[in-house]
Amino acid sequence: MASNNHHHNHKNDDNHLNGDSSVSHVPKKPKLGSFITDSEIQSEFAHHDPAVARINNGSFGCCPASVIAAQQKWQMKNLRQPDHFYFNELKKGILHSRTVIKEIINADHVDEISIVDNATTAAAIVLQQTAWAFQEGKFQKGDAVVMLHYAYGSVKKSMEAYVTRAGGKVIEVQLPFPVNSNEEIISEFRRALERGKTDGSRVRLAVIDHVTSMPSVVIPVRDLVKICREEGVDQVFVDAAHAIGCIDVDVKEIGADFYTTNLHKWFFCPPSVAVLYSRKSPSCSELHHPVVSHEYGNGLATESAWIGTRDYSAQLVVPEVLEFVSRFEGGIEGIKKRNHEAVVEMGRMLATAWGTHLGSPPDMCASMVMVGLPTCLGISSDSDALNLRAHLRDDFGVEVPIYYRPSKDGEIGLVTGYARISHQVYNKADDYYKFRDAINQLVRNKFTCALLSN
Amino acid sequence: MDEDHRNDEGSPENHRTPKKRRLSGFISESEIREEFSHHQAGVARINNGSFGSCPRSVLAAQNKWQLRFLQQPDDFFYNTLQKAILESRTLIKDLIHADDVNDVSLVDNATTAAAIILQRIGRRFVQGKFQKNDTVIMFDSAFPAVKKSIQAYVIPAGGSLVEVRLPFPVHSNEEIITEFKKGLERGKANGGRVRLAILDHITSMPSIVLPVRELIKICREQGVDQVFVDGAHAIGSLHIDVNEIGADFYVSNLYKWFFSPPSVAFLHCKNSSAIFDLHHPVVSHEYGNGLPIESAWVGARDYSPQLVVPSILNFVNRFEGGIEGIMKRNHEEVVKMGSMLAESWATNLGSPPEMCASMIMVGLPSRLGVTSDEDALRLRSYLRDYHGIEVPIYYQALRNGESNSKDKDGYITGYVRISHQVYNSAEDYHKLKSAINHLLDDGKICKMLPKE
Repeated sequence: MASNNHHHNHKNDDNHLNGDSSVSHVPKKPKLGSFITDSEIQSEFAHHDPAVARINNGSFGCCPASVIAAQQKWQMKNLRQPDHFYFNELKKGILHSRTVIKEIINADHVDEISIVDNATTAAAIVLQQTAWAFQEGKFQKGDAVVMLHYAYGSVKKSMEAYVTRAGGKVIEVQLPFPVNSNEEIISEFRRALERGKTDGSRVRLAVIDHVTSMPSVVIPVRDLVKICREEGVDQVFVDAAHAIGCIDVDVKEIGADFYTTNLHKWFFCPPSVAVLYSRKSPSCSELHHPVVSHEYGNGLATESAWIGTRDYSAQLVVPEVLEFVSRFEGGIEGIKKRNHEAVVEMGRMLATAWGTHLGSPPDMCASMVMVGLPTCLGISSDSDALNLRAHLRDDFGVEVPIYYRPSKDGEIGLVTGYARISHQVYNKADDYYKFRDAINQLVRNKFTCALLSN
Repeated sequence: MDEDHRNDEGSPENHRTPKKRRLSGFISESEIREEFSHHQAGVARINNGSFGSCPRSVLAAQNKWQLRFLQQPDDFFYNTLQKAILESRTLIKDLIHADDVNDVSLVDNATTAAAIILQRIGRRFVQGKFQKNDTVIMFDSAFPAVKKSIQAYVIPAGGSLVEVRLPFPVHSNEEIITEFKKGLERGKANGGRVRLAILDHITSMPSIVLPVRELIKICREQGVDQVFVDGAHAIGSLHIDVNEIGADFYVSNLYKWFFSPPSVAFLHCKNSSAIFDLHHPVVSHEYGNGLPIESAWVGARDYSPQLVVPSILNFVNRFEGGIEGIMKRNHEEVVKMGSMLAESWATNLGSPPEMCASMIMVGLPSRLGVTSDEDALRLRSYLRDYHGIEVPIYYQALRNGESNSKDKDGYITGYVRISHQVYNSAEDYHKLKSAINHLLDDGKICKMLPKE
């Protein structure tokens, strides 16, 4: 995979410890005035397994070779002289990344921007603060925290660990899926807020996904935040794990108290780095990173920038990522637009080929869309979905997550399995044809998931 | 030679993976230099204690793991990651003589382990299982992050802290044991119980090896609930047998003295049931499955440092005597170099040789005038920026009622903490010796040094 033609482009050879196992094919930068070409894009992602139709950017994201090279540069800087790096370079580098992010998401102050490992960590930080408020008696036992039924698994567990244990009541918003309009979501949300306010208790926190994970749908967060303010919800935390690089993120306009998004999913950063935005306000609570270092008490951003000795290089390459996206026509906006158009086109192609449907209208998806799978596959449980996914991976070279949607009362013959397809700059139509053909073959061969569960 | 040359027609000479040793030969001097050739040339790097070091062959192994993830992350997550973490945990279990791999968790660093343990203590206070007069006891030399963790998790929950003065310079284990016993009395003075004792195996600043086995025995005799040994520096510095040491919780960083990349540490729990009562503060879908499993998935991130333990063992086994041989030689050399410096400066060592491992404190001439933490930091920066020497400096204020160290010109209030690791040579320490002597010859004191 490492192309010998490219080794003369190694800018910083002291990065390359072992040529055959590092990403050594750093592609040439384009001539001034021209955009990145198709073959340059393929080169940037040449480390991806070529035998796999990788249509699951949503789970683990991707990182181009030039950003990986930049990361290795930072890693070597540290290893070269770690004391000097710690005293003279690290803080500056993180501040630079935070400043860049602040601009991208339209925050007012760089103080509002903290960098953490991932949205999972951000959730721990926000919910820890909620738990403290219960413990200190600021919130009463029985006060509610509202979250979406489709909230990410780790967020649900965080609720258990931090909220339920501290005496809070967790209320889940039942979301319809397939979904047809924002109104369906908004009315369920209102209903959940009402449940939260029974018996004179208050809704202290609403945790709202910007783009749900499974099943994946774009939530009308602006509307929901407005409703929260109208209904007297204390705080709103938007879990936007997928958002940056996928949909528009303007934290002021969205208006949440806390907003987190992973940069390693759709924003080309290496694993892993996320931003936690915390709006400055007179009543804002003190957030703390749960791993306490000597920086404790100096503000979340400073605490998060030092949580003990570890590799912070993923947090330092944000400026280089900006360089990468600027090579594309329209920058990140162009990438988002083209990803959306392509994933909708491919989703429709698949739905047509299989005689199924999309899980949401195109305007409720960004760079991922749910596509119904043929009912004859017999997906009737979560483990069926997982088994089918493994079967597609191992025997067809297709990587795509499958969602099991249980039938509700009165429903017959409905689609119970959906594939969540992603489109990122490295994808090609062939990836989706491969998937289409794999499913068609399974259908032809009268395959059912029951065959896998032995 | 060629069979070891992996690939890389165009790659510069110094980036080849170093040759493995020929059978029956140990790693040579030049191979060691090659393994650490990424260290900045011209720097006398005598501070392995702070950030550790990682040889190129382990870094190469890490890159391999990172690449595997990037190639097909879903497959890596579902089919590779957990197995590889379990393999690392199993190797560590053997290294530390633990009974059960279920008792071994991997976390980022000792700082994270402290958060895990102290969060649990905090919960106990909140739940009313511990009472207001109950205490946590530790030496005042505990790592700053640990002190802050107590402020964050124990104090607000209603617990109190008892700090025990660490005698320094120290002459014997007895001095430490005496102070600790006094501290335990204070901890029980208000009728409360001592719920947790936090003991460094090797303190950070000033650095000495504590007699943890004896201290733990005393803890058990005196009814201390639990003992947490912060062995941040321990693995690769001294012998660890967690059963013999007998702590309830034991943590050590692998990236300091055990050649791993930043960063990974192990946390061992004596009682297997404890792993369900401790939680990683970053909650994932693995919540409730026991600390080792929770720690093996704290959301999407780079777990590669946790995966290279097998490669580390390959590395250390290229040395005569393996890790034991490395530890022995590091200890002998650091004592030798420390003594050389103390003699040249006419000062003293901060502890007797048997109370140090691969780091030792050496008194700085009183004439240098280290009179504050700022002075110490200033001197450290000066040595880094003007002499290419990396060494941490410790300031100790004069203490009432104790014998303070003196040299012919006054009281010794500044110490260097020198480390010795396999990449160090005598030259590194002579460089330090000369730099300090030059300062003295020029009549300089800390306050005269350039400000940052």
